Amino acid sequence: MKPESLERSVISRLARGASLAAACAALALPAATASAQSGPIRIGVPTAMQLQVGRDTQDGIKMAIEDINAKGGVLGRKLEMVVADETENPETGISAIKKLTADEKVDVLIGGYTSGVTLAQLPHISAAKTIYLNVGSASPATNAKVKTDYDHYKYIFRVGPLNAALQARQMTGFISTFVKGELGLSKIAIVGENAKWVQDLVPLLKKGATEAGADVRAVEFFDAQTSDFSPLFSKVKDSGAQYMVVVLSHASSDIFAKQWHDSRFPMAYGGIDVKSMDGDFCDRIGGKAVGELAANFAVRAPLTPKTVPFFDEFKKRTNRQPVYTAFGANDAVYIYAEAVTRAKSTNPDAVIKELEKTSYVGIPGTIEFDENHDVKPGSATFKGPALLFAQWRDGCKREVIVPKTMRTADFVYPSWIKQ
Amino acid sequence: MLEILIVGAVSSAIYAMLAVGFTLIFGVARVLNLAHGSFYALGAYGTYVLTSHLKLPLLAAALLSVAIVAAFGVLIERVFIRPMRKSQLAVLMITLAVALVVEQALFLTFGSEYRNVPAFVDAKFTIGGVNIAGARLLALGVGVVVIGALWLFIQRTRYGSAILAISQDPQAAQYMGIPSDRIFSVVMALSAGLAALAGILAGPFLTVQPTMWLLPIVKAFAIVVVGGLGSIPGSILAALMLGYAETIVGYTVSTSWTEIVSVLATLLMLMLRPAGIFGRRAAF
Repeated sequence: MKPESLERSVISRLARGASLAAACAALALPAATASAQSGPIRIGVPTAMQLQVGRDTQDGIKMAIEDINAKGGVLGRKLEMVVADETENPETGISAIKKLTADEKVDVLIGGYTSGVTLAQLPHISAAKTIYLNVGSASPATNAKVKTDYDHYKYIFRVGPLNAALQARQMTGFISTFVKGELGLSKIAIVGENAKWVQDLVPLLKKGATEAGADVRAVEFFDAQTSDFSPLFSKVKDSGAQYMVVVLSHASSDIFAKQWHDSRFPMAYGGIDVKSMDGDFCDRIGGKAVGELAANFAVRAPLTPKTVPFFDEFKKRTNRQPVYTAFGANDAVYIYAEAVTRAKSTNPDAVIKELEKTSYVGIPGTIEFDENHDVKPGSATFKGPALLFAQWRDGCKREVIVPKTMRTADFVYPSWIKQ
Repeated sequence: MLEILIVGAVSSAIYAMLAVGFTLIFGVARVLNLAHGSFYALGAYGTYVLTSHLKLPLLAAALLSVAIVAAFGVLIERVFIRPMRKSQLAVLMITLAVALVVEQALFLTFGSEYRNVPAFVDAKFTIGGVNIAGARLLALGVGVVVIGALWLFIQRTRYGSAILAISQDPQAAQYMGIPSDRIFSVVMALSAGLAALAGILAGPFLTVQPTMWLLPIVKAFAIVVVGGLGSIPGSILAALMLGYAETIVGYTVSTSWTEIVSVLATLLMLMLRPAGIFGRRAAF
């Protein structure tokens, strides 16, 4: 038995006990809520604690809490954080929500990573009538019900990342304007791992790329456990493609980059590679990612006045480069604190009304919510968060290549590819 | 075609190094060691620590890492396995526990992120128009040499004769004065060292992270079931079959189908010939 299952059964038993206790308490104690209004404001953090996304969520929140508390807190109350491990397993995710809402009685939830877990948690979050600021999962489905069933799902907000449908649109833009438009490469191959969100995204990507005039020569899926990419590379090469667009999230990014570099594969690659968002991904695989272009939600560049100071402060405190959950979580705390200040209460209904009016200059851009409480993407007229394609360069430094308006350096082909 | 031949050979060599050690300890001590994949992981992590933190040269780090993992294997055998060797179920449980403890220890010490094991060769080679990474060719070469050396060790040395004797009839071997406990330790050291070496050689082109032990143990298990538990020639043959079957499926069907090959092979073999290709009798 894996340790998670033991842990899960213990947690779920505890959570069941806790919800029973909570039910009993709710019958007896209206006065307790009044006294809770004067104690600290509790932020519940359901996240995958063992992954960098989870650690960064916690550190991002901690930084914001310390800053806000140093300035006197919110409505004179201090902020405090309670963490629960939701792992990447829906059952454990539900237990985490129950623990935080029924047992710890938090005022707000900030966290999330795997879309499958978030989706399983939604009914429990709405039943607990607790505001949830998602900072990790990207499925559009998590926010789809906010508009259609507002009373039940009004508690759900996504501060980041951009949802998968918006990511697909921005990826299509990357293929048409950059790969085809600037590099002049019209024959592409799309390679993705066999995961639900990738299977959903790849057809959209293929359609968008074809409509933009690209010739999609091959579409290849591979198992998340794949340890040898030679057959896949061989097929892509034989297809006559000139550029490889990738969609990788939960696995194999390291092996992919290593084998691409080791075999000096005669084709550049870029796209969504979640592990390659880690600031030290390139270093961790011995510099073999140099040349890869990977989408990021923010990199250390002056996107807003907060971006560079946040990246530097985070690095100073944790000795790590932050991933997207770090700045999403950090922004989420400030967004919630401002909404509570405006509402003059932590009452969820009052705070939700204020959250809907949010226009907050955050780390990746200005955060505003649409009618589904989903973060609005940046555009020519709105400086919201956008996908940035950054290239790993010699010494494992990153340069922003796309969008052109934020370019910090020109694209360079890997050393073994002759143009 | 040539590409399939080369890539399949590399996969087979790594699999063989894993499976031979796994089957060796079973053949001799009847120990089904589920911690075998942990030795593979520790070999890679050991080299990572020695090269990146202690700044040792790669060759020294690799050799030291193999030695440390071999010693760790002996320790596990002495402390955990030996007292309960009579019950195969207890051994299965305790070795699984060791594997999980190692995984969690790696998580706590290094986090879940990938780590880098430097490659002995970074160059790319072109054989008959096929581009192949130097690290893979090295894994193939070293795998063949090491398994050959192990074969000679078993066939030509006194220790080897003792190993053979115990595997054929443990009781008779003991009556002949063969110190079976010491032989078990030697076999455990060999088995752990081989797995560590596989981890070090595969580290530069495969993944290095705390859960990396799981896939190798699944593959090793599949190989020894197909080849016959306890049979070294059986596991070499099965490693070749599996390595090539996966490569061929990858090239002709799709990479997303490769992982099912080993599971299917195990299932089919268990249904058709539970003793495996060479069965128990052919041990060594």
